[in-house]
Amino acid sequence: MKPLAIYIHVPFCARKCAYCDFASFAGREDAWSDYFAALHAEMDAWVDRLRAYEARSVFFGGGTPSLVPAAYIQDALNHLRRLLPLSPDCEITLEANPGTLTAAKLEAYRCAGVNRLSIGVQSFDAALLRELGRIHTPEQAASAVRLASEAGFENLSIDLMYALPGQSMAQWSETLAQAVALPVQHISAYSLIVEPGTEMEQRVERGEAHIPDDDLVNEMQRLAVHRLAEAGFARYEISNFARAGYESRHNLTYWQDGDYLGLGSAAHSLVENERFSNPPELARYLAGERMCERTVRSLRDHREEVLMLSTRTLRGLDMARWRAEFGEEFVQGHARQLRKLENYGLIEIEGDFLRLTPVGLELQDSVVLELMDD
Amino acid sequence: MSEFDQSRIRNFCIIAHIDHGKSTLADRILEKTGAMQLREMTDQVLDSMDLERERGITIKSKAVRMNYTAKDGKTYELNLIDTPGHVDFNYEVSRALAACEGAILVVDASQGIEAQTLANVYLALEHDLEILPVINKIDLPSAQPEVVKQEIEDEIGLDTEGCPLISAKQGIGIEDVLEAVIEKIPAPEDDADGPLQALIFDSYYDNYRGAISSVRLKSGRVKVGDRIRMMAGKCEFEVTEVGAYRPLGYAPKDELRAGEVGYIAASIKDIADVHVGDTITLADNPASEPLPGYKPVLPMVYCGIYPADGADYESLRDALEKLRLNDAALSYEPETSVALGYGFRCGFLGLLHMEIIQQRLEREFDLDLVTTAPSVVYKVNKTDDTQVMIDNPTNLPPVQEIESMEEPFVDASVITPQDYVGAIMELCQDKRGIFRDMKYIEGGRVLLSYDMPLNEVIYDFFDQLKSRTRGYASFDYELKGYVKSDLVKLDMLLNGDQCDALSIIVHRDRAYPRGRSIAEKLKEAIPRQMFEIPIQAAIGGKVIARETVKALRKDVLAKCYGGDISRKKKLLEKQKEGKKRMRQVGTVSVPSEAFMAVLKMD
Repeated sequence: MKPLAIYIHVPFCARKCAYCDFASFAGREDAWSDYFAALHAEMDAWVDRLRAYEARSVFFGGGTPSLVPAAYIQDALNHLRRLLPLSPDCEITLEANPGTLTAAKLEAYRCAGVNRLSIGVQSFDAALLRELGRIHTPEQAASAVRLASEAGFENLSIDLMYALPGQSMAQWSETLAQAVALPVQHISAYSLIVEPGTEMEQRVERGEAHIPDDDLVNEMQRLAVHRLAEAGFARYEISNFARAGYESRHNLTYWQDGDYLGLGSAAHSLVENERFSNPPELARYLAGERMCERTVRSLRDHREEVLMLSTRTLRGLDMARWRAEFGEEFVQGHARQLRKLENYGLIEIEGDFLRLTPVGLELQDSVVLELMDD
Repeated sequence: MSEFDQSRIRNFCIIAHIDHGKSTLADRILEKTGAMQLREMTDQVLDSMDLERERGITIKSKAVRMNYTAKDGKTYELNLIDTPGHVDFNYEVSRALAACEGAILVVDASQGIEAQTLANVYLALEHDLEILPVINKIDLPSAQPEVVKQEIEDEIGLDTEGCPLISAKQGIGIEDVLEAVIEKIPAPEDDADGPLQALIFDSYYDNYRGAISSVRLKSGRVKVGDRIRMMAGKCEFEVTEVGAYRPLGYAPKDELRAGEVGYIAASIKDIADVHVGDTITLADNPASEPLPGYKPVLPMVYCGIYPADGADYESLRDALEKLRLNDAALSYEPETSVALGYGFRCGFLGLLHMEIIQQRLEREFDLDLVTTAPSVVYKVNKTDDTQVMIDNPTNLPPVQEIESMEEPFVDASVITPQDYVGAIMELCQDKRGIFRDMKYIEGGRVLLSYDMPLNEVIYDFFDQLKSRTRGYASFDYELKGYVKSDLVKLDMLLNGDQCDALSIIVHRDRAYPRGRSIAEKLKEAIPRQMFEIPIQAAIGGKVIARETVKALRKDVLAKCYGGDISRKKKLLEKQKEGKKRMRQVGTVSVPSEAFMAVLKMD
């Protein structure tokens, strides 16, 4: 059976966060039922093409998948099982907002087969949470994690954000300290990206929000790497840290060039070298529009994607696989650039793997650019 | 006019300080004489280049012929010759003035006489022109025509009795100006039966007619079919068309005669065969002497011009070729730079000329350019007793082969209100100027004469002069000759690699501050990269200034959005495009703007 990762998008949330530019909609309860019906229909249409596959991971992302009644999640997973087998060790993740979790919901998720929760904590600073437009307090976040743990979820992940408006090193340090004290196995630490069209962008432009400069942001990143390592969370991707054996299988699929099928509005897919995505607008998705922007990946795109994604991981670029896939010795094809990058201490080569050093990871875009074909 | 009568011709130009209303008056005169209907008028009709209109300056001279029926009932032929006002084009101005008998001097009724007013008057007097003062902008509340008239009498010594008081903008008093032109400016008194002597005061390229000469006939006549000879250029051509200029185009005629202004076309393929200042005569009945004043126009300033995108090299060459058709003073030759690739070494009359060519290339031909710092032509005396001329610092021979170096000096004159004499003397000294003379002229003005290295003049002298005298000083220069000088080549090193396009030749005493200033500018212009970049200014092997571009601290997208890698890819594509537009100097990527930043001095 060929492995496949399944992503299911739930485009609803209680309130749009200030920094969010995802396809998500606040206050559309009226559409929930239609949406999940459409999702089931979309799954049905895939039956024939997925005969040779088994799902090794399922990821409910959003929006806020934990916002809708748990029955929708249960039904969706059951429907998916009719579409293709889930492997016995299938990682089934659900993104949750601490403000929406209850004991009852957690119990229902467990019954449905969800075995991993990714909880959007973001910060343990009340003022910063307000600044981000989050609907929960630090206390609610901590208790949501404990509640999930008590409900029997052993594989818990939390998201943290740094480079927040006005954030100090002390605040970030405090958030890290509280995070590692929680019963979690996995931590994602992202620096805030001010996306165009978001409320945050307007606030920054109006001078109401001040994003820390690159030097400070980099210090924050280094602090995270250091403190999380101390607490037993090893960095395995630029922004992701896990205790041994708890790396996210689903996310590794993206970074390691595996096939994934995205279901629901705005979901992106890569199946058998073909990329496609669903429309981000709810109305278009509900009207049955699917698989927009279908493109068969060119060799050049394929090479670039492998380069830019695999070098995000600490495992690095698998040059043996590169040789098998592209018939090229990576080291010979990039000798000059590699020498330069090595001289600057940005990369290291060990056996068949090319990986970025800690400093290299801070400059991953530049490194990739250097290695990209002209 | 049925029969030819020189007494019915008036050849004149308009001179003024900038913004005193020269172009507006020209427009009104065209309108008044009916040479142009109102609906055909755009502002500044004579300034047809976009650049001229925008900058409010006149770059190339033009001439236009009008008919005017005066109060005496007679119809006159008026030739208005427009002149450029900038020192870069002084030679063209003086040729244009040589084609006239008189000049209208426009003075702003509230500003009064200013520096360029005087400079222009002196230039006109040099050519024995009758000067007709006109007070403009009398409609403004701040207008003081009587005070300004007195000023003109006192400071220039012109009679202002009956001088027209006008508002070109409102169209007031235009007829008075025309009547005064008829009455005060003398008619030409040239000999139509002598051998042909036609002064070329302008030239340009027309796609159908070839290179065209704008001429003033000082003697003789010329018609279609005549074989003409360029007296300095030596070449001969057969005349295909003669005529006068009308505001909207050519008006072919059977013949041009002494006293007239017009054009001669002779299917001349190369504009370089038509030299402004040259005299045209007839091959079979040549004049014994050319008209005085011809000198070949030599570029004074050189710089490298490169396409920002190497793929545009051919387009740049085509564009230069086209511009050259209308601008004999522009020269260019292919050159290569390690940092910038393939481009051209271009020669110009001066800085404004250079700036205008650059802007025309960018606007009219839609090219992105990288230009190197302007350089003058240095004379290098080598140890083997040979001599080489160097217009590109990169070509300077190795130090051990140089016996001595010479740099061009100019005769610089500055006319300034007395109040600024101190500031100007300080500036000239800063610029290694050697004081020659100081003369008091009428009206509290001073004429300062300095010997000055052209190298310093082209650096930032104009800007400094303007800012230190609030625009009141006028400046002119003429090449004087070469003078031995302690010159050095200042190199810039990026991460240890020398960047040829950033090298300049400077006086040893100026090398330290220039090196420091360029290093600072580069530090601002070069983006942080994966490694620390030392920027060094060096003479020979010796580093005299150093700055550092710190290593990039963070260049990574924190999150890849689920399976949607498109934005990450777009971001990388954008960075890749940006990188492509950068130049590689050794290991360092240098944006095109960095090369320009070096040109801008504070």
